[in-house]
Amino acid sequence: MVQVLALLLFFYLLLGTLQGSTTVLPHDFFFRLDPLAGISAMIASRSWLMPMALGAIILLLAVTAGRAWCSWLCPLGTILDWVPSPRPRRDNLDIPSYWRQGKFFLLFTILLAAILGSLTLLILDPITLLFRTFSSVILPLLDLMIEVTETLLYRVGPLQPAVAWFDSLLRGIILTEQPFFLPNLLLLTLFAGVLGLNAVRPRFWCRYLCPLGGLLGLLSKVALIRYKVNNEKCISCRRCAITCHTGAIDPGQKFAADAAECTVCLDCVDICPTRAISFSPQLGLASPQPYDPRRRHLLVSLAGAAVGAVVLGVVPHLNRAEPGFIRPPGTDEKQLLSSCIRCGECAKVCPTGVIQPSASVGDWDGLWTPRLITRLGYCDYSCNSCGQVCPTGAIAKLSLDEKRLVPIGIARIDKTRCIPWAEGQQCIVCEEMCPVPQKAIWLHGGGRGRGRIADVLRPEVIPDLCIGCGICEYQCPVEGEAAIRVWPTAAPV
Amino acid sequence: MKISRREFIRKMAALGFSSALTGTLFSLFACGPEEVPVTTSQPPVPPEPKLSPAPAPPVPTVSPSGGAYLAAARGESPADLVQTAVKALGGIERFVKPGNNVIIKPNICVAYHTYEYAATTNPEVVGTLVALCLGAGAKRVRVMDQPFGGTPQQAYAKSGIEEAVTAAGGQMEIMSNVKYRAATISEGRDITSWPVYGDVLNADVLINVPIAKHHSLARLTLGMKNLIGVVLNPGQLHFNLGQRIADLNSLVRPTLTIVDAVRILMNHGPTGGSLDDVKLANTVIASHDTVAADSYAATLFGLAGADIPAIRSGAQMVLGTMDLRSIKIEEINI
Repeated sequence: MVQVLALLLFFYLLLGTLQGSTTVLPHDFFFRLDPLAGISAMIASRSWLMPMALGAIILLLAVTAGRAWCSWLCPLGTILDWVPSPRPRRDNLDIPSYWRQGKFFLLFTILLAAILGSLTLLILDPITLLFRTFSSVILPLLDLMIEVTETLLYRVGPLQPAVAWFDSLLRGIILTEQPFFLPNLLLLTLFAGVLGLNAVRPRFWCRYLCPLGGLLGLLSKVALIRYKVNNEKCISCRRCAITCHTGAIDPGQKFAADAAECTVCLDCVDICPTRAISFSPQLGLASPQPYDPRRRHLLVSLAGAAVGAVVLGVVPHLNRAEPGFIRPPGTDEKQLLSSCIRCGECAKVCPTGVIQPSASVGDWDGLWTPRLITRLGYCDYSCNSCGQVCPTGAIAKLSLDEKRLVPIGIARIDKTRCIPWAEGQQCIVCEEMCPVPQKAIWLHGGGRGRGRIADVLRPEVIPDLCIGCGICEYQCPVEGEAAIRVWPTAAPV
Repeated sequence: MKISRREFIRKMAALGFSSALTGTLFSLFACGPEEVPVTTSQPPVPPEPKLSPAPAPPVPTVSPSGGAYLAAARGESPADLVQTAVKALGGIERFVKPGNNVIIKPNICVAYHTYEYAATTNPEVVGTLVALCLGAGAKRVRVMDQPFGGTPQQAYAKSGIEEAVTAAGGQMEIMSNVKYRAATISEGRDITSWPVYGDVLNADVLINVPIAKHHSLARLTLGMKNLIGVVLNPGQLHFNLGQRIADLNSLVRPTLTIVDAVRILMNHGPTGGSLDDVKLANTVIASHDTVAADSYAATLFGLAGADIPAIRSGAQMVLGTMDLRSIKIEEINI
């Protein structure tokens, strides 16, 4: 089944998004196909983003065959088909209602916000939502459960070879060095919400909320191939309306289906006992529906986007309320905020898990953009993967040599907590770990190279050499907050 | 009682899921010693270990054939140097017996540079050792290290060691969190317990293959310090590095130490990154005594064993000798 294959491809690419691994298709293939993300990012960044042009294929699909993406290719759609939902009863069928406007509202607000330069609402794009949830919540959860189970079973002597073999299969793929992602509860709640809404109606998300569905739906109004019912053959058994995943078939309109709601799954064709339903070429605009977007909806969306823009304009670190974020190498803050589609690819591929989705109160404009938390991981000196997998170029594709020269922050030592400075005990783990060939940390109390160790060695950062990778902060053995920390370079001295 | 296939699968899945969940919850609220991250400057204090560490296999200090206590080979080909040095000790058969489970522990501490930068052990040295062990009839030869910079996968590939080991018939192992266990260090003067990789303690033969490098705190990182790669929480060892390294060496006793001094890192160790800091010393040193091998390697930097804190502590604990004049050394130029 095409649905299952598309879903498997999605998961294959997700699991294959690892440092240094190659997959048959680019890791970010599904994002490149996503026209909502592509259009929004191009509008917000005022630039042409070549990789995202692949989305044109899906737009073309929509004007040819309607919302076929939703039934055949969308991985979230496939999952929603499998989540249990109440079976419509013959006497209580879902008649297309004004709730369906919801997805158009969301679509317009996303596009208008993009015009105003903000992409925060792309967290509601179905592909980014699914990818982020799996990479930031479900895989780490699986990782934890597997590791704990393995550790327990490993204590049983005879099981050790089996456990070791099982572990070696998964290590690096599901069992990674990524510890966890901070806003995991929020992500999980969002995803659980989308799935949970299936308890109200099947494919609730697709019918009433999905902005990508809204975009493809609008294009489907001029789709070439559309649902058609032969009323002479129809015996009004209502099986088609009961079967329809998105409730697009309306018994009250002689079992006509709205092209903007129909996801071309073709189940109705199979179920109709008299073969009255077919999908055939039809020209012209599809018949209007009561819930079609009108001008006033557009205006409400505009108002919403404008209010949102004002709210988003409050940026804590620009008002000195917070130190600001450390961003991946190869990003420009302004360009990042207007190109990042919140897909989560960079966080997934990062081998140390230092890239975290930003979820800072007050920083709504940057919600779920990548930031580095150098106590949870470090920017690996041997890695340049984040730029390689970013579909929109929000993180530039740097070569490894280029990336090693880009400072993303600067380390500063708190001498009141640093063990040699504060307690007179030996340490210098930070200097040991520093990957810069000339070492961006030098040591008092003894020469470098083949010098003498006369007394306790005390570290000092060399600002000109430090690239802010954070391995010093990550490895600092002080309890809690590290004694050496990386600060954004714009921070005051 | 008949049960349908679907019911059975459903029940098994539920059982599996709930036991995994129970296990997770149990372990989250009742941490074992292996998982507790050390957050104080004291190492973790474990409950009584259920398995005592395997006793180190006895290796005679002088081989019956009168082989050298320590051998140092100098020449162009790393493979030849390894073979010559091991032969001078009495041959690999002195250390590896047929059917042995062998672990080779090179230095693969970072994934940053290729081997020419002298941050990681020369792959040809490691490959030759793998071939030698298999030639002596070892059942299994595994090569492993836990890098602190970069993932094991990246480090194994970038260092060239994975390629050399696989070509020689050995296996690279990614060290798994699951296999560490709290081990008692009964002779430890500063630390008495530390989490150590279980397989290393259980192996029949452990071959320690460091590369000689500068290190700001340890002064030089050689064979004794190389063993840090088999423990957890290495950062905590730095508070009293020399003594703690020696204590560790009293527990984890390699059968054989081969110091890779083909290229040595003179400055900015242990990570390196500049070819200006690399010196071609074209030497391989071999001994069953890590303290002696390290002391000899120190001379390549113009230092003596006594200048290195870990070697001093090791000699004091009689883990080996740093007095190079008291042992039979064979120096061979190829």
